[in-house]
Formats: sequence, C-alpha cells, structure tokens
Amino acid sequence: MKHTASLPDRSMLLIASTIISGIIAYVMILQKNNIESYFVTPVVMFFCFNLYFASAWNVSRVAKIVAFVGVLFIGIPMIGFTNSLYLQVAVTICIFAAMSLGLNVVVGFAGLLDLGYAAFFAVGAYLWAIFGGTQANEFIAGNLFPLNGNLVFIFIPIALFVAAGVGALLGLPVLKVKGDYLAIITLGLGEVIRVLANNLNKPINITNGSQGVRIAPNPETSPLAFITVPLSEATGIPFFQMQLTMYYVLVLLVVLAVVIFTSRLDNSRIGRAWVAMREDEVAAQAMGIPLVRTKLIAFATGASFAGAMGVLYAAVIGFINPNDFNFERSTQILAMVVLGGLGSIPGVIFGAAIVVSLNQLVLVEISRVIGLLNLPPRFDPTQYQQLIYGVILISMMIVRPKGLIPAKRNPAKLENLEHGELAKGVK
Amino acid sequence: MSAELFFGLLPITVVDGLSIGLMYAMIALGYTMVYGVLEFINFAHSEIFMVGAVVGVELLVNLLVPTGLHPLFQLVIAIVVAAAVAGALAVAIERVAYRPLRVRNAPKLVPLISAIGMSLLLIDVMRLILNPANPNRPFPTAGSYDFFSQQLDLGFVAINFKTITVFVVVMLMLAGLVYLVNYTNLGRAIRAVAQDQSTSSLMGINVSNIIVLTFFIGGALGGVAGVLYALKYGVASPVMGFIPGLKAFTAAVLGGIGSIPGAVVGGLILGLLETLAGTYLPLMTQDQIGTEYKDIVAFGLLIAILIFKPAGLLGKAVAEKV
Amino acid sequence: MLLNVEKARKVFGGLVAVNDVTFQVPEKTIISVIGPNGAGKTTFFNMITGIYQPTSGVINFDGKSLIGLRPDEVTTKGIARTFQNIRLFGAMTTLENVLVGRHSRAKTSYLDAILHNSTYKADERAGLLRAKELLEFVGLLDKRDELAANLPYGEQRRLEIARALATNPKLILLDEPTAGMNPQETEATKHLIRRLRDDQGITVVLIEHDMRVVMTISDNVTVLDYGTKIAEGLPHEVRNNPQVIEAYLGRGAAAGEFGKTAEGGEAA
Ligand SMILES: Nc1ncnc2c1ncn2[C@@H]1O[C@H](COP(=O)(O)OP(=O)(O)OP(=O)(O)O)[C@@H](O)[C@H]1O
Ligand SMILES: [Mg+2]
Repeated sequence: MKHTASLPDRSMLLIASTIISGIIAYVMILQKNNIESYFVTPVVMFFCFNLYFASAWNVSRVAKIVAFVGVLFIGIPMIGFTNSLYLQVAVTICIFAAMSLGLNVVVGFAGLLDLGYAAFFAVGAYLWAIFGGTQANEFIAGNLFPLNGNLVFIFIPIALFVAAGVGALLGLPVLKVKGDYLAIITLGLGEVIRVLANNLNKPINITNGSQGVRIAPNPETSPLAFITVPLSEATGIPFFQMQLTMYYVLVLLVVLAVVIFTSRLDNSRIGRAWVAMREDEVAAQAMGIPLVRTKLIAFATGASFAGAMGVLYAAVIGFINPNDFNFERSTQILAMVVLGGLGSIPGVIFGAAIVVSLNQLVLVEISRVIGLLNLPPRFDPTQYQQLIYGVILISMMIVRPKGLIPAKRNPAKLENLEHGELAKGVK
Repeated sequence: MSAELFFGLLPITVVDGLSIGLMYAMIALGYTMVYGVLEFINFAHSEIFMVGAVVGVELLVNLLVPTGLHPLFQLVIAIVVAAAVAGALAVAIERVAYRPLRVRNAPKLVPLISAIGMSLLLIDVMRLILNPANPNRPFPTAGSYDFFSQQLDLGFVAINFKTITVFVVVMLMLAGLVYLVNYTNLGRAIRAVAQDQSTSSLMGINVSNIIVLTFFIGGALGGVAGVLYALKYGVASPVMGFIPGLKAFTAAVLGGIGSIPGAVVGGLILGLLETLAGTYLPLMTQDQIGTEYKDIVAFGLLIAILIFKPAGLLGKAVAEKV
Repeated sequence: MLLNVEKARKVFGGLVAVNDVTFQVPEKTIISVIGPNGAGKTTFFNMITGIYQPTSGVINFDGKSLIGLRPDEVTTKGIARTFQNIRLFGAMTTLENVLVGRHSRAKTSYLDAILHNSTYKADERAGLLRAKELLEFVGLLDKRDELAANLPYGEQRRLEIARALATNPKLILLDEPTAGMNPQETEATKHLIRRLRDDQGITVVLIEHDMRVVMTISDNVTVLDYGTKIAEGLPHEVRNNPQVIEAYLGRGAAAGEFGKTAEGGEAA
C-alpha cells in the first residue's frame, strides 16, 4: 500500500530530475568554453541515475517515457556537443546493445550457445567497408567506389538478409548436433571467417587481408550528410561532432527497433517455442515444435542483427580489420548477455552498457592513474579485458546465473476475454 | 607441381603430421575423459595445456639449463613437473568453477559458460604473470639443446630429434594410460563412473574422487602435450592453447567423444590431414591458397563428421533415455 | 481403429525392450497398458510418438503410417502425450506452458509476430481463450501466472495433461498420470481422464501402476512383461489371468503392489 501511495510523487520526482539534468546540459552547451571537462562526468552520471530509476522504479508510464526520451534523445546528444567522448561511448553501447540483443535471441531465448557470433558481425562490417570505401575497386572494374554514404541504409537490410542467409546456411548442418557440440562448432566457424578475412587478399584482393579496410572520412558522401552538413552550418557545431550525434541517434533508433522486434518475437508463438526448446527439447518436440527449424530461425535472427550492426559499425568507426571479429569479440558479447541476464531484454542492454563503460571509461581512467603513479605498464588494466570477461562469466554462473536483471515472464492478460467467448470454446 | 616434388615431400609431411596428430591426441584425451565422465566440455582444457607448456619452458630456461644435465634428462624433469602442475590446475578449476554448478544441478549451458570464462581468465592471468609486453617464452635452443635439431637419417626420411622425442614420449604416456584405464582398479572405477554414476556410487565407488582423478589425468596429459608442443614449435605463450585446443576437441569428436582409442585415432587423422593440406595446398595453387587454410580443412572435417557420423569413428550411437 | 500397432519391436543393443507387440485402440475408449518395471511400456509410447523409431513393425494412426515421422509431426497428426518423469517448461508460467502446446495449431508467422497484425492478434486471443478453458478444465486457472517449476507435484501432472490437450489431440497417451499423487488427487485425476473421453471425445491410452485406477476406468487392459504382450482383455479378465499374476508375483516388490491394489480395486 505504501508503495502505491508514493507512486505519483516518484513519477514527478523522476520527471523533475530529468528536466533539471536537461537544463544543466543545456547550460553547459552555452557555457562550453568556460566549463572544465571533468564537470561533464557528474552530469552523465546524473543521466544514468535517471535511466536507472526510470527502469527500476514502479512509476507511471509517462514519467518513464519522459525520462528515457529526455535522457537518451536530448540529454546525451547535448552532452555530446560539449564532450564527444561520452557520445562515442554511447554510440558503442548502442552498437553492442543491439548485437547483444541478437545474441540473446540465440543464447538467452533458444539456449543455443553460439561462440562464433562475431563472424556475422564481420559479414556486415566487411560488406559495407568493401563497398562503402574504395576496396571494391580492387575487384570490380570501373572505379565505381566508394558508394554514396546514404546507401548504407540499403546495405543495412542487405546485410540483414546476407547474414541471416549465412547463418541459416551454416546453421543447417550444425543445428542438428547436440547442444554442447554447437558451442565448439560455432567457435570453429568464427575462426573460419577470421581466417578468410585474413587471407582473402589473394588471388583477388577482397578483404585486404590483415591490414583491414578503411573508409576515408568524407563530409560530402558520408551517411546522412544531407542533414548533417546543413545542421552543422546552421548551429556552428563542427561537422564531425554533428555527425557523431547523428550516428548516435541512428544507432539508438536501431536499438529501439531491435528491442521491439525481439520482445514481440518473445511474446509470440515463435518466442515461446524458443524458450520451450531451451527448457526441454524432448517435451518441446512433443508439443509439435520442429526443433531444427525453430533453432534455425533463432540462429538466423541473431545473425541478421549482427550483420546489420556490422554495417553500422563499419560506417561509424570507418576502419575494420580481421581482429575486430575474433573469439574475444564473441566472448565480449556473450559476457554482456550473461551479465545482464540470459533472455532478459533490459538486462542485456544494461550488460552492454556496463561492459562498454567499463572498457572505455573505467579501465581507461585506471590506466591513466597507473601512468600518473608511474606503476609498471604491465599492470595497465586495459590490456586484460579477457580477464574481466572471464571473471564476469564465471562469477555470474556461480553466484547469479540469471544475471543482474533476470528475465521475467509476462503475466497473462485474461481479464479482457469475455465469458461468452469462452462458452463458444474457440479451438 | 612435379611428381618428384610431391613424393619428395611426402615422407616428411607424413611424419610431421603424425607427430602433430599425437600431440592433438594427448590434448584430446583430456577432453574425452572428462566428457566421458561428466558429459561436459572442459573448455579451459586448452589453457591447462598452455600452462603446462609455459611451466615446462620456464623451468627449463631458469632452473634446468644452468645445471648442464643432458637436455633429454632436463626435458623429462620439465615434463614431470609440467604434468603435475597442469593436473593440479585442472583439479583446482574443477573445484572452483564446475563443482559448485554440478552440485546445484544447473542446466548444461551454465558450466559450459563458466568453463569459457575460466579459459579467458587463465589466458590473461598468464599474460599478466609473463608480462604482456613480451609474453613469449622461447624453448631453449643454444648449447647442448642443439641436440634436438639434429637429424636422424632413416634413408627414406630424415627426422630430427624433436620429432622423435614427441613420438617416444607420447607412446610412453599412451601405454601408461591404457594400462591404467584397462588393467587397474582405479581404471575400472573410472570406466564404471563413465557408464553410470549412480550405480557406481551404490557399488561403493567414491564418484567425486574419480571425477577429480579424471581431471588430474586429463590435465596432466595436456600439460605434457604442452611441453612437447613448445619443443616442436620452439615457443610457449599465453595464447598458444586456443587453436590446438580447438583441433584437439575436433580430434576427440572425430574419434568419438568419450572414447580413448577414438581420441588417438582422431588426433592422428586430423594431424595428418591438416599437415598434408598445409603443405600441398600452397604448392598446388602457387601460393594463392596459403597454409592458413589448413585450419579451415580441420573445421570442415569437424562439421562433416558431425553431420554424417555424429557419434564419431569409434563412438557408439546412444539413444537418449526419455 | 484409431491406432493400430502391429508387431512393433524395439531393440537397444542386445535388449529387446518391446517384442513384436500388436495393439489396437478403438476410438473414444480408455485403454490401460500395465506391466512390471522395465516391461517396455514407456518405450512403447516413445515408439508411437516418434521419439524412437521402431526396429520393425507397423504403426498406423487414423489409417496412416507414423513410421519415420518426427515427434512434432506425430503431434501434428493428433497424438499428444505426457511424460512419466514430468517434463514441463519450468521457466515458463503455467499459462505459457499451455500456449506452447498450441504451437502446431497456431498460424502466426515470423512476420505476423513482428508486425503484430490481425493474424497475430486473432491467434493470440484464440490461444489465450483455449488455454484458459483448459486450465479451468484441469483446475489450474488461478495458478496461471506461476512458474511451472514452482507448482506442487500433483498440479504439475495436471498441467502436463492440459498442455498435451492444447495440441488438440484425437488420442492422448498418459504415462503414469497418477504417480506420486495422494488418494484424493488420484481420484480427481481418474475423474479427469473419464471426462477427457466423455466430454472432449478424446481417446486415452494410459500407463498406470495403480490398479484401482486401471480396474475402474479402463475399457480394455494390455499387459506387457519383458517387452512381450502377455495378456489383453477386459479389466477383470486380465486381473484373473494366471500369466499376469505370475508376471507380477515373480518379482518381489511389484507382486505385493499388484496383489494389494488389485484387491483394492475389487473393494471399490
Ligand atoms: N534409450 C534407451 N537405451 C537403452 N535402453 C533403454 C532405453 N530406453 C529404455 N531402455 C530399456 O528398455 C527397457 C524398458 O524400459 P521402459 O522405460 O520402456 O520400461 P517401463 O515399462 O516404462 O518401466 P517403468 O514402469 O519403470 O516406467 C528397460 O530395460 C530400459 O532400461
Ligand atoms: Mg515407464
């Protein structure tokens, strides 16, 4: 009872704090030149608290929306105009959150341990890096490349289907085998893709081998330039900072789309079949669920998200090489999923945010301090990311196997069904 | 390529492939024995192999080389110590990362993820210990170690003593293992537990001890393989476990996981095939397809086996009881 | 005949688990399969439902062969089952477990689910209605949001029946539906099984150790021993069959069970 009584004030509190943080951020833009950079960090933390309480508190829907939209779509971009580091981190978080959501479909919902997930990421990333840069000229005559950056929006769906196709092709033989073999085979497949990326520079130079592929930054032809250029001229914000903001909004929208996709799948016949299969394959099959097909759909769904994010990754980062897609990358994404909670959509996003912030903010900061203290560089924590993933994986499995935000099953909504309908006995 | 070149390279390629295959077999035994008992892929096994290699090489370089003993004798000491350390490490890992989950009867995915975490953790801890700026530890070559590079000419092929050492050591270890598993009470207990844990425990076997023992033996074999691998390739490093581990697992599946002879057969076939591919693919394609593609051959084989003969060459297909 | 099994045989290595069993199930009947532990009853069910392929023999359902079909295809043909060692989806709610049972009857495609279109909505609505109806039927409606793993044992057994019914079967195979239940629960389940046939028109085959249940609800009883069918007939015929008594008496513990419960059945 106490809980419900405090509901309205909490909602108001959340809205108020969101507005306040927004005002602070706005003042910071105006006073940009007078503000020390370390002042940004507490504001960002303020934002994060807003987000956290918006998801943890039992507040009204409006307050939630205000907090999320306010922080994600207004607050963070504003911070980005003052300090692009946080915006870069936010972009990375979104990219990894979308990928983790994809892996979550495979591992979390369907219970298939995929250790070669980065391979599908590579498929998308190479697709765009090769055609969006000049690399394609190496094997297609006519000096047609780079393509116009806005074609990235066509490449995203292309990568979606290509990666899903590759996933289905590889999955078809593999998904018939017993669960724990799957882990090793996907690991092997990930290795195969990496070997190919490393070696397909001969006989024809497709991937440029271990040197990787670069997309030269070009304000004229970069994705969304038709909005970014006028906006940056109108506001006086430098082009690349404006572009980063645009990319941020873009990836954020993609995450939103992925969340909607996966939660809708989760609450459908298909999602229920995945979870049933994860829980008990024999019983699931006895309920009329075709195992291989259902697994294949999960596998291809996960792959397609990774492929699409690969395209965006290549467009945003502008440089890829085979080591971006190694086993470490796959385990990184797995660590995000496991940390947040297998099968939990908010959990997985949270997991991605924590792991990326840890890598790009916390560890970097510690490493700076170590440098200041003149400690030997071997203690620089940025070199031991695998150690962190390892610790995350082991400790979560032992202490909290359901993750930080465990998956919840939705309660049934039977109330709106009328009794008359029941009597008819719909079959 | 000319027939002369083809056949000229064949004997040494085969010998090389077999020696690599034997090392895969040794690692594969660790996977297969643990799988046989627990139906669980000990993902960290490749890092146990790596720790064995690093311990062996460090021991040689820092303590044994200065003694001036015969290098073979030094190697034997290094192997024994590496085996003990790797075995103990395997047991410790079982204790820390797997047993709590087994006791809780967690779903299968859970210990597997824990094992992957353990594997990552071991790699980075070893990098930290060895110093990430320079984590490679070369196997000694100078002075009396020149011995291992000498060739023994058998007429049709000249083999160096590294390879011969690998052959001899692996054969001895395998003989020991076969004796232990087939002709001792302990071995019988291991086989019993692999078949049926609850019945074994009713018969008075301490299942928990047998599991620990299995981890120890598997780990020790992995450690020995590590030292031999460092001898053959001249270096030990924190990341050396990944690829051989994957190959060894492939070998175990190829032979039929859970089967000891299967691991050996699988290792030999895989070692042979990939070495042949690594030698002849570049030669036949004028270097357009490089040696690196041998890894693809290995995984292609793994997938093919799982599709066409999921139980492996020597494994028996069992229907899951429902 | 709804189900017609002829000379079905299943061999595991050297063990003949089911030995050329011929078995017929007329429509809208309740048939019991009994036999001592390890007689091959569950294996027999597993062969019908496609979990094991028979080594030899014929299995026809509704006039069509089931040989070579996968379990999910068998389910789609109209055979549902429960498991001896309950196999619910523990991490799903009671209601979701039932909804899973509707998998093969629902039409929602991948695209429908993402678009939340009318097919999806109609499907979900129909599914919920049916699930609600079935949960009411087995008396678990008020537990609909509880995780299946948290239900007490007897309710889990009933949920398995509701889940199986959600596949819209013509024939349902129940593997020891009253195992581990107290007398009241057993009585309720017995009643439930009768209603399956009488109200829903579903044919029932059940494996059962409790002779009171077997004797009172079966139209016909088949007895397996060491994989072989040793008797078949009306309940009272089977009970007095010397071969059947021998099969049970020949084994210490099981004999007591049979003798006792058979008398119990008589008393009832
Ligand atoms: N997958 C399998 N592999 C090998 N043997 C099996 C398999 N499944 C069943 N068996 C064997 O077949 C025989 C019959 O088993 P089944 O489970 O069908 O008996 P049951 O009549 O159901 O017994 P209970 O009353 O104990 O449930 C047993 O000896 C059992 O061990
Ligand atoms: Mg049974």
